[in-house]
Amino acid sequence: MSRLGLRLLTSLFFLSAAVSPVTAQPAAPVSEETVHEVAAQLRCVVCQNLSVDDSPSEMASQMRAIIRDRLAAGERPAEVRQYFVDRYGEWILLSPPRRGFNLLVWLVPLAAVGVGLVTVAVLVRRWTRHLRDHRPTRVDVDPAMSERIRREVDSGP
Amino acid sequence: MTVDFGYGMTLVALVLAIYGAAAAAVGARAGRPALVESAQHAALGVFVLITACFALLTYAFLTFDFSVRYVATNTNLGTPFYYRITGVWGALEGSIILWSWMLGLYTLILILRHRDSARELYPWALATMLGILAFFLLVMTIAAPPFQRQVPVAADGRGLNPLLEDTGMITHPVALYLGFTGFTVPFAFAMAALITGRVGDTWLVLTRRWTIVAWYFLSLGLLIGGWWSYHVLGWGGYWAWDPVENAAFMPWLTATAFLHSVMIQERRRMLKLWNIVLVILTFGLTLFGTFLTRSGVIASVHAFTQGSIGALFLGFLALVMLTALGLVAWRWEALRSQGELDSVVSRESAFLLNNVLLIAAAFTVFFGTVFPLLSEAVRGVKVSVGAPFFNQVNVPLFLSLIFLMGVGPLIAWRRASLENLKRNFLWPVVLGVAAAAAAFVLGVRSALAVLTLATTVFVGTTIGVDFVRATRARLRVGEALIPAVGGLLRRHNRRYGGFVVHLGILLIALGVTGSHAWSVQTEATLRRGETAELAGYRFRFDDLTAVEESNHFKVVGAFTVSNGRVLDVLRPAKKFYPQEQSPIAYVDYRLGLKEDVYLVLGDFARDGTQATIKLQVNRLVSWIWIGGVVLTLGALLAILPERRTA
Repeated sequence: MSRLGLRLLTSLFFLSAAVSPVTAQPAAPVSEETVHEVAAQLRCVVCQNLSVDDSPSEMASQMRAIIRDRLAAGERPAEVRQYFVDRYGEWILLSPPRRGFNLLVWLVPLAAVGVGLVTVAVLVRRWTRHLRDHRPTRVDVDPAMSERIRREVDSGP
Repeated sequence: MTVDFGYGMTLVALVLAIYGAAAAAVGARAGRPALVESAQHAALGVFVLITACFALLTYAFLTFDFSVRYVATNTNLGTPFYYRITGVWGALEGSIILWSWMLGLYTLILILRHRDSARELYPWALATMLGILAFFLLVMTIAAPPFQRQVPVAADGRGLNPLLEDTGMITHPVALYLGFTGFTVPFAFAMAALITGRVGDTWLVLTRRWTIVAWYFLSLGLLIGGWWSYHVLGWGGYWAWDPVENAAFMPWLTATAFLHSVMIQERRRMLKLWNIVLVILTFGLTLFGTFLTRSGVIASVHAFTQGSIGALFLGFLALVMLTALGLVAWRWEALRSQGELDSVVSRESAFLLNNVLLIAAAFTVFFGTVFPLLSEAVRGVKVSVGAPFFNQVNVPLFLSLIFLMGVGPLIAWRRASLENLKRNFLWPVVLGVAAAAAAFVLGVRSALAVLTLATTVFVGTTIGVDFVRATRARLRVGEALIPAVGGLLRRHNRRYGGFVVHLGILLIALGVTGSHAWSVQTEATLRRGETAELAGYRFRFDDLTAVEESNHFKVVGAFTVSNGRVLDVLRPAKKFYPQEQSPIAYVDYRLGLKEDVYLVLGDFARDGTQATIKLQVNRLVSWIWIGGVVLTLGALLAILPERRTA
């Protein structure tokens, strides 16, 4: 609770410090698209798990204003993002940057899919072994037919 | 008085549940039916006692009995009648009562249904149910007692969490909990099968429908949760990948995997081990979900409290998983089955892939949800894993799953011939490609949207082709159209129930794609009489009024929406509750099949001359709810007792 309270206070402080100098300048037209793009990747600091883009809270609305103003002042989206990361830490990004330890969160699911697919491939191979083993000896099948079966078996996904 | 009485009943119920679990187990081991019967009576007693606790707590809510701490923290004199009832399960302690009550209810149904039909498995299943029920009663007595004295008795209570003041409060938690607790029954039978060594098909046949029932309620709970999020939380979305949403989604994924792989076991006597693991996993994930929700280890909109309850749940989860997996290891030999496939290209393979993808999705959700904890433990750095991550990783998985949804049901069991493939997939592929081309020509440039559209049309056509063909076959033997369709649905209710569920998923996929690809939003600060524009709609700020409600103060804006002609007056509001620091947004919207107009009131001038609003035009979102209705109807069809012609 106190941690949240502290974060609230600090964010209020940073926001008030941040809003005043930038909003003083007349804003050049900024594409709302870009504002959404940046806002969607940032976490609203007073909500849980909502992006700055989505959150209906006032804090989020102020954060959107900061994004708009900084973009208008000529900053690139990456710089605006960095501005928030510098103030709040990585925590502000809704999707962890793909480097260092954070690579894990991206790679482990990928590895899991890979392991799953390989397991199924191995199992299916094992379970169809009897087809390959018995192919020559079994009943005398018309060669065209057995060729077709082989084709189908081999052309599996 | 209320507190002593309620707490006393909880204690007695706990003792009875422990006794019942032990009696059922001993009765099963020693072959003494009298003991099992005694356990049944104990189960009935437990259910009656929990019902009484529930009624007592509800009575305390209705009569504003602030001598009960739980009542005092979750209601106040202004809380309206309806929310005094739903408020009973509005927080941790009450939700545990609801949970136990449902568990007790499922136990009774299990007794009634299986008392005579499954002599060997039944007593162990009963023992498992009562054992789990005892754990929840233990939570109710030591970790989160709803009956606790408030000293001194408060003159007025704190009040319910305002976000819970919604009609959805009766349906969302109830459906979700019926889903969660419902998975206890398949788990209990899986345990019974492992303990008795009867790991054949009996337990599977007994629990298949139970699983669909639980799956039905869980799906319903998730969908209503989405609707709630959309129309109450005011952020214009329906799914935030919040840890608690994830917690409910993970068992849904594993249960869905089970509902598919169970068919392979029925047909081919394969995957015994895998199916039992899926049931255990699903139940484990429901406990894990409760742990996440209740412990506050992961920050979430749903996190109620932080307390000892987390450790208790984690301990129980560990106990359950170790016991279950220990039993699996013990029965390893009996569970191993020599699999044999007749071809690589077969429905079996499609189902195996389906399982890999579903489990991978569940794992991804799990890993992403706990990763912040991992990062903090290892690096000491707080990170967030939110929607952008989950969408990016899961979308390819879900898209592949939808594709398989078209392939799986129509590809032949055992071995698919070229004829089979051509016969079933020629038209779907043609139409899918045509849909993609049409979308491109019409100006859709999002690759993901085009791909989803093509896949959806492909799968939709496979379902249509199958249905038309089966109906035609019936018409050919002289049936009329309506009886033919009805008979088809009724006789093959599991197959066609599944198809209807798939159709529902397709509609949901379209809605999700549409809302992500084509929704637009903007913000505007308007003076009275000024208008803002978005996507062809004009919004005029008419006025701002303040209203005093029984338990809060509300500022309502009026905005006239028009697109050439006046469509509606939307009244988004901000509610100020004395017990809350920040106001709660109350959105207003106009739903449509093509798009919703969605309005959130932001900042406003005190004199009512100026207001900031967030305007959204959300595309195709209604199809998510329509798809949800279709999906649940399909699940209901699949639940119907089977009536196949010989």
